[in-house]
Amino acid sequence: MTAVLEVSNLRKTFGGIVAVDGVSFEVRSGEILGIIGPNGSGKSTLFNCVLGQLRPSAGDVRVDGRLTTGMRPCDLNRLGVSRTFQLLQVFPQLSVRDNLVLAGQEHQGSMASRLFGLSDAGLGDAAEQMIEFFRLSNLADEPAGSLSYGQQKLLDAAMAFMAGPRLVLLDEPAGGVNLTMLGHLRERLQAYHAERKATFVVIEHQMEFVMALCTRVLVLAEGRLIAEGTPHDVRRNPTVIEAYLGH
Amino acid sequence: MTRAGLTIVAVALGAAVAAPFFLKPFGIFLISTWTVLTIAAMGLNLTLGYAGQISLAQGAFVGIGAYTVALLTPAGVPFLAAFIAAGFLCFAIGWALGYPALRVQHHYLAFVTLAFTTLVFLVLRNEQWLTNGIYGITGTPRPTLFGWTSSGARDFYFLCLGVLVVLSLATWWMLHSPWGRAFVALRENPVRAQSLGLDTRRYTLMAFAIGSSLGGLSGALYAPLVQFIEPNSFALGLSFNLLLMVIVGGSGNFFGPYVGALISVLLPEWLRVAQGYYLIVYSVAVIVMMAFCPAGVLGLVERASRLVNGRRKAISGTPLHTGEQANDRSA
Repeated sequence: MTAVLEVSNLRKTFGGIVAVDGVSFEVRSGEILGIIGPNGSGKSTLFNCVLGQLRPSAGDVRVDGRLTTGMRPCDLNRLGVSRTFQLLQVFPQLSVRDNLVLAGQEHQGSMASRLFGLSDAGLGDAAEQMIEFFRLSNLADEPAGSLSYGQQKLLDAAMAFMAGPRLVLLDEPAGGVNLTMLGHLRERLQAYHAERKATFVVIEHQMEFVMALCTRVLVLAEGRLIAEGTPHDVRRNPTVIEAYLGH
Repeated sequence: MTRAGLTIVAVALGAAVAAPFFLKPFGIFLISTWTVLTIAAMGLNLTLGYAGQISLAQGAFVGIGAYTVALLTPAGVPFLAAFIAAGFLCFAIGWALGYPALRVQHHYLAFVTLAFTTLVFLVLRNEQWLTNGIYGITGTPRPTLFGWTSSGARDFYFLCLGVLVVLSLATWWMLHSPWGRAFVALRENPVRAQSLGLDTRRYTLMAFAIGSSLGGLSGALYAPLVQFIEPNSFALGLSFNLLLMVIVGGSGNFFGPYVGALISVLLPEWLRVAQGYYLIVYSVAVIVMMAFCPAGVLGLVERASRLVNGRRKAISGTPLHTGEQANDRSA
């Protein structure tokens, strides 16, 4: 399988603190890769370096073989890399439908053509499909801020998929979501993966969620990669148990 | 827009067309001032209300537009060309002023734009060879367009109203295009917006440039309206006044600047009975409004409308929310 994302010797320091220390890995097309680790192990910093929110101190990031280190997040998104954030990031004053249209509109034509084109940038049907897929139909016209936390998490994930990305990085999608909504979210992500053959990278603390969703898992501790394997192998790895699962 | 909204707009437009036939020259001057200031406030509403970039430079752009027309038209340049030049010049300067907004936000950005306003004021006052300094420029002619002259107060008002309608339609179109959604995203969460592919740098510059351009077009009408311009008219006070119009009317609400400018222009006249206490009364009214309704007058109207609709739905038994509510968050 070809690598959609390649990270080589990535390092990020903040003054004297080494947040990510020479991490290398690759994400293969169509897989769901989980990244786990205790608090402060560098998972979100790694994400932010890969996605252009932070500039790495050293190392390379490649998407489909193309060097993207330090590229702006908007340019990366247009290359087909999408993400969600650890904290909820929907636009509360826009409706659910408008949030979804917004998530896809910058992939439609040029900036000038969007000014003179359709209000929904021709994404009306795609937004409806996504609303239906994530079972938010009865909320389509509601302001996103009026949705429950779990529904906003679903919307957040749906927005990441709206432009049909090649690679989606989900930062703690299960954070703060109750068990019922968590099952629903996992089931929808699995359905999307099966239907579109999308490639996911998931950072998560909720171990059951990771073990049930991911096909391969990387474990970070103190900014370093300490283990890699199937969920089953990682669960039994003594180094992982000592660093994380044993807590 | 809802049918009720369209009806209100149609009635307001009808009233604006009929008003000069019932007003004396001073009244016509006041409503002409309202149309001109509404254009500037509409520009600031785009920059501040929609795109979330605070600017204390809108008064300076009105000044640049006014001086552009006041200098070009006596030199033989047709009004229409001078008017368009004012818009383009302010667009270019606004674009350049947008660059600091890429680095600083909120009150820091307010200080950057405040410094720009001071800079423009000093240029207008000190560069006498160009602007005639503190003596100002008198006698900017009212335009003749396609054989129709607008030298009369009522004619010039209709010219201003026509320009306001055209610019309002253009702004409405833009705000209901994907650009409008992008501006709101820029205001609400620029980091997320960028992760969704929005070039926040370009949209920020565009919000500044278009807002400033509307300020310049407003100034281009202001010069022939008052027919005497001098630097003090475009000092910081005007920028604060325009900011107040946007906030009092309803920042981020399309019709907010219309209401805000109306209050700002008419209130001093209504409060003439208060004489020297006018500003005290006005200030207290603003403080009370900001404390109890920061969304401005139109925010107050929307809140009342939601309350009435909510009661109606409650009486008819329709649930207010169809989805599960925020109590599903894990403890």
